[in-house]
Formats: sequence, structure tokens, C-alpha cells
Amino acid sequence: MNAIRTLLHYKEKNAYPTPRRAMSKAEKWKFGLTVFAGKFIGLGILVMLMKIGAGLFSPAQAADTYTAHETSMMNSINTAWTLVAAFLVFGMQAGFVMLEAGFARQKETVNVLMECIFDTCLCGFLFWAIGYAFMFSHGNGFIGTHWFFLSGAPDTYEATGIPILAHWIFQFAFADTCSTITSGAMIGRTGFRGDILYSLGVTGFIYPIIGHWAWGPDGFLVTMGSDKNFLPMIGQGFRDFAGSTVVHTIGGAVSLAGAIALGPRLGRIFARDDKARGGMPPPHNLTIAAVGGFLLWFGWYGFNPGSTLSAMDMQGIGRVAANTTLAACAGGMGAMVVAFWFGNTKGKFDLGYSVNGFLAGLVAITCPCYWVSPLGAILLGLVAGAIVYIGVNFLEWLRIDDPVGAVSVHGLCGIWGTLSLGLFATGQFGATGPTGADNSATAVVKGLFYGGGMDVLKAQFIGSAIITLATFAIAFAMMTILRKLPHPWNLRVEEKGEIGQGGIDVFEHGIEAYPPQSM
Amino acid sequence: MYKIEAIIRPHRLEAVRDALREHDLIGITVSDCRGAGRQTAPTHTFRGSQYSHGLEMRVRIEVFVDSTHLALAVDAIQQAATTGEVGDGKILVFKAEQAVRIRTNERGEAAIN
Repeated sequence: MNAIRTLLHYKEKNAYPTPRRAMSKAEKWKFGLTVFAGKFIGLGILVMLMKIGAGLFSPAQAADTYTAHETSMMNSINTAWTLVAAFLVFGMQAGFVMLEAGFARQKETVNVLMECIFDTCLCGFLFWAIGYAFMFSHGNGFIGTHWFFLSGAPDTYEATGIPILAHWIFQFAFADTCSTITSGAMIGRTGFRGDILYSLGVTGFIYPIIGHWAWGPDGFLVTMGSDKNFLPMIGQGFRDFAGSTVVHTIGGAVSLAGAIALGPRLGRIFARDDKARGGMPPPHNLTIAAVGGFLLWFGWYGFNPGSTLSAMDMQGIGRVAANTTLAACAGGMGAMVVAFWFGNTKGKFDLGYSVNGFLAGLVAITCPCYWVSPLGAILLGLVAGAIVYIGVNFLEWLRIDDPVGAVSVHGLCGIWGTLSLGLFATGQFGATGPTGADNSATAVVKGLFYGGGMDVLKAQFIGSAIITLATFAIAFAMMTILRKLPHPWNLRVEEKGEIGQGGIDVFEHGIEAYPPQSM
Repeated sequence: MYKIEAIIRPHRLEAVRDALREHDLIGITVSDCRGAGRQTAPTHTFRGSQYSHGLEMRVRIEVFVDSTHLALAVDAIQQAATTGEVGDGKILVFKAEQAVRIRTNERGEAAIN
């Protein structure tokens, strides 16, 4: 263990060479202020040591003071950054529909496209009306109770300095991502009216309420570990920087519940039932799927770096973007190599696993991206790539039909990413903020591999387990009830809709994805 | 020697192949086709307009059998391909004059077994 730690530290030091270039005016100003402030901190500590004594000593954070003009400039830049990130995250919708449509069979393509479009539109309404209120307003540890229809909301969100509507659209894009993930494992047999009903539940209630636990201003997992809050003996709150758990594990757990409640598509033969013919039906357009995967990767540059909500934390956003890239590279490489070595894909460089692999790396890095080093990002991305391979085969063995691999990519790797923070956090980085990073000794996060002990890992495990199990239980109950409704409101489409002429596309939407041309 | 040509619903293809395999009839030729019969053709809708090509997707299969297997194969295809709805398709049987396995130049029944 010591050897690993030394190695990681060694790499860490070399990963950030001192930049040798002229500083801009703003940087000079900030540099000057920091040096100036640093000198005063030193002086202050000396005075404190002399006056109060070592027993009462606690390290003070650099207390920068800014003029109103400077604050307004910083908030403007932060808002522009957050909005750019929000637009990038929204662009992931294009990636999702392409990936899901590409991995689907031809006769369910229109259905997939339509579900994603519908979910997006519905999510906008619901997140405006109740979602944002449940998730981000003050209330209790379980649910927010203010700002319904955004009425009564303040000008800016909490201490971020970001206007509330800019924060809303950023978070809407996240909620939309979660609701689109759920459709992935339910492709090809979900009736459209069933989709409407479960989407109401997921985007209106499950995602915002459970999300409040981890991201709300007073969620019980955020305040976990502090006095008079949930589990004070842990001493650490649950951390999820950009949503490995909040967005991806919730989406993955709901889609798993849906896939189980629905059952497999008609005619789907599982690998363990028939070695020769069993397995995933062939995808209908791998070009679209691969391009969609890359679009998702591109959108992730808004997802992770944007989650700082602050362009002032320039070290932070740079580090997060680099870590995101490296984890994705490692995930794609890991899944490809594992698939090359084992199983049915032995000896083949499998495209499906590679695309899902880099997505798995992206999902995994989403939680720890702020606190790990580039080397840590590569290692946890490699593991995520392997998890996708194992997860896809395990679900196949369990006879659960997951056409795009949403449960493995988003569910399992979301859990892994959340836990990995407790292992790979370097102990150099603390919290982001509207004026810059807070890397003071009390704020930094240190994982097991860097000598931080088990505390962070424990907190991550508790948070991940609570959210995963609660989401799965609620979603499974909801899906099971929907599955018992009479047609056409049943979660699953009628049999003739699935196997009839043109499949579910013609039955629900009246047209095939590639209709025959006769004029 | 006979050639059985059957036009069936696409989603019954796997069932028909399974039924033929039970009689050790492995060889099969399959092609996608469109056609019309007594059933009403499906109507598609797109942005407010309805249209119909008057043709439905079907699968055409061709199987070559000897006289001992003919009845078995026809029954197997009929039972596997039926759904009871109008539009299940047709099975046609033709007499084949000669068969040649190209690889070995075997002639007659030896070529199709």
C-alpha cells in the first residue's frame, strides 16, 4: 500500500508542472492578492500563536475581500460558464437518442426517438413546476418545500452568485439526462402511454426528491456526519460532484426496475438458454450509435467541469475536464481489452463494448472528477470499463433484457464512481466556490489510497447504498403497479403492437424509421 | 425432389426454422419481399398525412426436399407460420427436375440432402 501511495504522490507532483508564461492582468491581480493575503495569514497565525496559544489554534482560510464591481464581474463570468455548460449538457440529449436508436432494432427506432423527445418536453414542465422546488429549495432533509413554479425564488441560487434561472436550466439539463437514461433499458416493449406515466413519476418525483438528499441545500446526505444530523459519527458528508449517483445511479436503478417489471422483448433469446442463437439482437445502426456516444462524451464537458458553477475556480475546471477525458479514454480501452480477452467477443475488437466502456468511464469520473489526480482518473476509468463487461454479461445471465446497457453503464458504474472517490481522492483538493477553490486543510478530501483512511469511503458507501436501494424500491413499486393497468395504459405494449406489421413503431407512432419509398 | 416456396410473416421465421430443423432440414434460402393479398394493407401516418403502399413486408423462404420429407416439411411450415389472422401467407410446392451440388458436382437427391 505504501508503495502505491508513494507512486501516486510521485505522479501527482509531476502532473502539474509550473506554467511559465506571462500572467494576464486578472491573474496578476489575483496572484498579488493571494500573496498579500498569504502574508497576512502568516502574520495572523503568528499573532494567534502568541496571544491565544497553540491549544486553540485552527487554520484560517484566506479571507479575500472583493469590491461590488469585482463580485459582479465574477458572477457574470460564472453565469456565462454555467450556461455554456448547461447547453453542452442539453446537447447530450442528441447523443442519447442516437446511441439508443443505434443500439435498438429497426422496428423500435421511432419509439426510442419519440420517448426521448417526449421526456425532454415533459421534464421542462415538471422541473419548472415542482422538480426544482423539491430538489433545490430549502425544506427538510428529505424534500424541498419552497419555490414551486419558481415563485418566491431569490435572484441568485444560494452562495453561488448564479441567477436562479441559469441554475434552473443547468439543473433541468441534468434532470432530463436522468429521465432519458431510464428509457434505455426499456426499449422496444414499453407502451407510449406507459412511458408517459412512468416519466411523470421519474422526472416529477423520484429524481428531484431523492436528488434533494444529496444535492439540496439541506439534504440529509449533504449534512451527514455533522453534529445533530444524520450519522454524526461518520464525520464526512456524502459527496457527488456532478452526479454519478444523483443522475446516473438513479437513472440506472429506475431502468433496472423497469426492465425487470417489463420482462424481455418478445422473441429475445438469452445467451444461457441457447448458446448458438442467444444474446443481444443485432443493433440496427452502429454508425449512429458511435456518433451518439461521441456526442455524449462532448456533452460531458459541460456535465463535469460545469458543475463547479464557477469559472473562477480555473484549476478546478481544468482538472475536471482533464480527468473526465482520461477516465473516458481508460474506460473505452478497458472495456475493449476485457472484451478482447474473454467470452463471446474473444479475439474481436468490439464496438458496442468500447462505446459503452468510454461512457462507463465518464459515468464513473462524474462523482470524483474534482478530487482525483489524472492517474487516479485513468485507474478508475479502467475499472469502469471492466465493470461494463461484467455487468452486461451478468444481466444477460439474469435474463434481464437491457438493449443499450443502461443498467451496467449508468447504474453499476455510477455506484463504482461514487465509491471510487473514497479510494482515489488525493487530499489536495477541497471545495469549489464562486471566487475560487477552497483547498484549506479542513475542506480537502482524502481517500484510502492516499492515506485518508476509511471515512470518505464509508460516507460514499452509505450515500450510494441509500440512494440506490431507495430508488430501486420506489421505482420497482411504481413500475409493477403500471404493469397491472389495463391496456393501453399498461407499461408494456400489447402483443400485437410488438410483433405486428412494422412493430411498435407503426403500432404507436404510425410510421417506420425508414419507410418504403414509392414516389 | 421438390422445392417448397413459402411466403410467411417476418416474425414467424425463427419458429419456422426451428420446426424445419426438427426434421433435419437445415438448408434454407430466405429473402425479404413485399406483397399484397386478401388482407387490408397497413396505413402509415406522418405529420398529418396518411399513406399506404398497399404492400406488406413478408419473408419468402425456399427449401429443397426429397419426397420422403415433403409432407413433413409442408406441415411443419404451415403449423409454425400460422397466426390465424388474414395475411399469414402461402406455401407452394414445385417439382424440381435436377439438383447439383456445385462444390462436388453431386447430382440428384444426394445434392440436396
